[in-house]
Amino acid sequence: MNELAYIPALPLLGFLVLALGGRRMSQKAVAITGAGSVCAAALLTMVLCGQFFGSGAVGAAAGHASPASVHYDLQLGQWFHAGALSISFGLRVDSLSLVFMFIITFVGALIHLYSTAFMRGDRDYARFFACMNLFVCAMLILVMADNLVLLYLGWEGVGLCSYLLIGFWYDSPANCLAANKAFIITRIGDTALLIGLFLLFKELATLDIAAILRQSPGHFRLGSPVITLIALLFLAGGMGKSAQLPLQTWLPDAMAGPSPVSALIHAATMVTAGVYLIARMHVLFQLSPLAMTVTAITGALTLLVAACSAMVQTDIKRILAYSTISQIGYMFLALGVGAYGAAIFHFFTHAFFKALLFLAAGAVIESLHHEHNIFRMGGLKDKLPVVYWTFLAGAASLAALPLVSAGFYSKEQILWYAWRAANGGTALWLAALAGAVITAFYSTRLLLVVFWGEAKTSVSSRPGRLITIPLIILAFLSLTAGFVEWPHNLLPVHLFSGFLQSVLPAPATRSGGETIGQLLAVMATLAGIGVGYQLYHRQPEIGIITRWQQRPLAAAIRNFLFGGWGFDRLYDTLFVRPLVSITRLNRADIFDQLYVAVVRAARTGHRLLSASQNGSLRWYAVGVLMGILFILTLLL
Amino acid sequence: MNELQFQALLPFIVLAAASILVILSIAFGRSHTFIQVAGFGMMCLVVLAMWLVRDALPREIAPLLVVDGLGALFTGLIIFSVLVIGLLSFIYFEEREENPKEYYILLFLATLGSAVLTISRHFISLFIGLELLSVSLYALIAYLRTRNNAVEAGMKYLMLAALSSAFLLFGMALIYLETGSMEFTGIARGLPSSGTPILFIMGMGFLLVAIGFKLALAPFHLWAADVYQGAPSPVTVFIATVSKTGVFAVLLRFAQAVHLQQYPAAMTIVVVISVASMIVGNLLALQQQNIKRLLAYSSIAHFGYLLVAFLPGDAAGAEAGFFYLLAYSITLLSAFGVITLLSTRQEDAGDLSGYRGLFWRDPVMGAVLAVALLSLAGIPLTAGFLGKFLVLGAGIGRQLWVPVIVLVLTSVIGLYFYLRVISTLFEKMPPAPARARPLHPFFYYATYAVLILLMGLSFWLGTFPRPAIREIEALLNIRLL
Amino acid sequence: MDIILLQANTLTTGANQNSSFSYFPIGVQLLFALGFVGLVLGVTHLLGPKRKTAEKLQNFESGIEGVGNARHPMAIKYFLVAILFVLFDVEVIFFYPYAVNFRGLGWNGFVEVLLFVGFFLAGFIYIIKKGALTWED
Repeated sequence: MNELAYIPALPLLGFLVLALGGRRMSQKAVAITGAGSVCAAALLTMVLCGQFFGSGAVGAAAGHASPASVHYDLQLGQWFHAGALSISFGLRVDSLSLVFMFIITFVGALIHLYSTAFMRGDRDYARFFACMNLFVCAMLILVMADNLVLLYLGWEGVGLCSYLLIGFWYDSPANCLAANKAFIITRIGDTALLIGLFLLFKELATLDIAAILRQSPGHFRLGSPVITLIALLFLAGGMGKSAQLPLQTWLPDAMAGPSPVSALIHAATMVTAGVYLIARMHVLFQLSPLAMTVTAITGALTLLVAACSAMVQTDIKRILAYSTISQIGYMFLALGVGAYGAAIFHFFTHAFFKALLFLAAGAVIESLHHEHNIFRMGGLKDKLPVVYWTFLAGAASLAALPLVSAGFYSKEQILWYAWRAANGGTALWLAALAGAVITAFYSTRLLLVVFWGEAKTSVSSRPGRLITIPLIILAFLSLTAGFVEWPHNLLPVHLFSGFLQSVLPAPATRSGGETIGQLLAVMATLAGIGVGYQLYHRQPEIGIITRWQQRPLAAAIRNFLFGGWGFDRLYDTLFVRPLVSITRLNRADIFDQLYVAVVRAARTGHRLLSASQNGSLRWYAVGVLMGILFILTLLL
Repeated sequence: MNELQFQALLPFIVLAAASILVILSIAFGRSHTFIQVAGFGMMCLVVLAMWLVRDALPREIAPLLVVDGLGALFTGLIIFSVLVIGLLSFIYFEEREENPKEYYILLFLATLGSAVLTISRHFISLFIGLELLSVSLYALIAYLRTRNNAVEAGMKYLMLAALSSAFLLFGMALIYLETGSMEFTGIARGLPSSGTPILFIMGMGFLLVAIGFKLALAPFHLWAADVYQGAPSPVTVFIATVSKTGVFAVLLRFAQAVHLQQYPAAMTIVVVISVASMIVGNLLALQQQNIKRLLAYSSIAHFGYLLVAFLPGDAAGAEAGFFYLLAYSITLLSAFGVITLLSTRQEDAGDLSGYRGLFWRDPVMGAVLAVALLSLAGIPLTAGFLGKFLVLGAGIGRQLWVPVIVLVLTSVIGLYFYLRVISTLFEKMPPAPARARPLHPFFYYATYAVLILLMGLSFWLGTFPRPAIREIEALLNIRLL
Repeated sequence: MDIILLQANTLTTGANQNSSFSYFPIGVQLLFALGFVGLVLGVTHLLGPKRKTAEKLQNFESGIEGVGNARHPMAIKYFLVAILFVLFDVEVIFFYPYAVNFRGLGWNGFVEVLLFVGFFLAGFIYIIKKGALTWED
């Protein structure tokens, strides 16, 4: 499988071409290079998928699990070598990687196509595509790496691209601040991950993923402190990248980047890197019940916190950002209860519908003179029908509209596992259920406020075909992608979990209550939708919201949620201000004084000694004589 | 003098013959170019002679001289430096002086004096060599007699060198009084086996005054800046490299012969001189605006560093010392080469403002000067770094913490003014008017080529010092026991 | 007498090398020199005619004013000729010890002196060719 290397290499090539020659290329050439490289990678990935299915994975999917997991390996050579540490440049593709690769390249290709139209006219067209290509390459390396160091390279690579693209319009200081914030906060997680890598290497003397997975169960005792520490450090890494509590604050601000960036990096792929990491390293987590519980609780808390914030946001992209945090919270919850397959499945459907929502939001924003506030939108149902219908599909999927949307199938699975999996429990399930209600509510609110009602801003332009086609494809997938995996009690179709079975174990479950759970989940969704409809579509008649806004307590709660639960302020008080004040205290650097003193002493010495160089021969002779006197004094 | 002794002395005899040849060439009205080429040929002959006699070493020519590995090594460095200086001199004097020929007589005589120093094992030969060197230098420094500061510099050097020679003689007399011998080995034999021979130490103190003067060590450094500035650039570099090499060689030989390191009093003097030189040199150079003066101050500091290698008195120290001198000579030759090329008819290119944006006007010269300064500052990959490294190694090997710490600290201060000059080289400036075509294209480009060669040599010594160090080690081991 | 003065070394290689008698010839020469100077000065003082004028009472300074500004210009030629004279004069001195030890040093010494003379001549040729000794320009 030598073609394996071409999949990340093509975007890398695109990046190199665009970075080196992009300024001299026409927009058309840039678009062809930028989008073409990713499309080619997507095609290759699909070919790879075909081969993969043909080579026995299907057998596994059909239920005859082959003992050895199917995977492709490709060694591209030694990367570096230091002492006992030898890091190869190796790729390893199994079904888990393949799911991610498919999403990265396929959704990536659609977003690139969309971007060719969306970014047209931007003066840094080539830079945009160069960064996007580099991102795709780094993300592919992340998921294809066969060792953790290479994975970390991809991990940092996507962080870098995220930083570059959030600050893409660097003219505005706010964008740069957002980029800095994203980079710095994710660095906290990255550092934890790095320490985790060191610890792991110290314990196992290898960073090869397959070897780690093989050796860990024999090497670590179940629940021993070391493995718990390593797993928690990995979790912290994932928290940073995937914007989970308490490192979630960067993602809403990251919406400063162009909409395709939000769609690709901050919805579909990069932010799910944490999910990938934990799924990839699930053996380590499995060895530490505490880490699993922490993961599950983190997910549950995050999904609630973010969903509540999403309810009250007014910026269309911030709503989607909080919703992304919340949805990744679901994935973490699933990972925490051991339902890795469910987490990946939710990632799979989420990638489609969230990318779709972002792209559609981008189209709306473009059409309305860069208007972000949903309350100044409205009535777009008739003016932008394609966007409306596709957005509807996405929102339905986000709200997990029963049976007809992909989101339903994945979310229902998570809910069920949260309740009935061995690690799950009623509390987690209730949290997830509450999240489902809120999700449905804010999805409805978003859709109704933006597309229904009367128009408040005139539509300046309509999206072209390059924008609508990706939307339609994604809308189609948002509705149908869930059909590959049905709930146990409805249809015996388990293509997705069968596909992943060779890599990710199915969780132990307590049986029973399936139908009740599903009914409750459906009811939760419908309740959310109903409340949303009541409050926002019939708002003028009922006027609850207007009344709420007048009550101080409600307004305070709303402001609290709007500000993302005050996390930003908390961090500001806890970390930023003390650090800034320390810096200010030390503005005239204390240690600098030392160097200043050295400089001053040197200057003074220079002045004094220069006075001795007065050019007078007499004085020079005296100097020699004084030297002799000095020597004689030394001797006597 | 038997045949083998004669053979061992051959390079020095050829060197002496070179000045006679130049005298006769002038007498019979040969051109500057002829003398230049003949001088070059004679120097090549010296090198050839050294190559031929390398197997005849070591050889003693009692009682005055001994030709051994140390002598050969230092003489080799001297001849190498003089070869480059000779080349630099052509353009310099051809364009400035109606009568450039006598210069070569003096140059070769001074070289001979310096070379004799490296092989002397007797106070008489030491004194003869030193005076041959000094007397030639008086005239060389004031060679451009129409320039006021050249005459002034020559006068100052004359006066102070005479003063120091007096102390040298007095020191020799005291040592003779104590030991009853003027031969180095005889002195060692004449010293009492225990206790401090006070007259010897006194004599040593006076001797160190004279040597400190020649090496421009603090507090006998005051002449250096004025002389460096006033002397013609090729002569300045001669003083900085050739004359100091010879003096350092004889100091090394004398110290080895009498085991100077076993006298704490003498060592204290050397430590004080070394530390004072490092501090004074670097501090004086700090804000200097004239590059020739700056290099003078820098050379004060560098010989302070060199004394740190001299202090241990062991093989590693001698090796480090020689390597340091080699690196220093290469560096200064290339730096002064650039100064020579940039000098105008009226005055030498001393002022730093003349170097503003040199790199953009003439990348080759800018690069050569920048690399030379980096080497002086001891930046890795250059020969200067390795020299400093070896010196530090030799010092640390003997736990000489005070000079070693001062060396490191003053190197940091030194970095400032070297980098200041380098930043001047790279400053942006409006393009200067095109330079006039060189009058002597062959010599002009030959100088250029040599400068590039020196830069390459500096890098080579800085990156692959192993062969050079091994050769130095081997040669230093050729000695009479 | 001449032989005793010049070969004091060879003469005193007897048994009593360090006796004060070996300084006897030097003492004789000293007395002789002092006596000669005293005699000549005394005799001229007694015999010569005396006419004392102001000029005559001044110290003799080779034709240069004894008192006054020392920095008056003087042709460099005087200096050049004088210094060259001193130079060659000093070099000629070296022939005396050689002549005395002519036999002892043998052919080796002869070659060395020839070399010395050769160097010497080279310098002389140089001086002549440079015109350092031509008085008129």
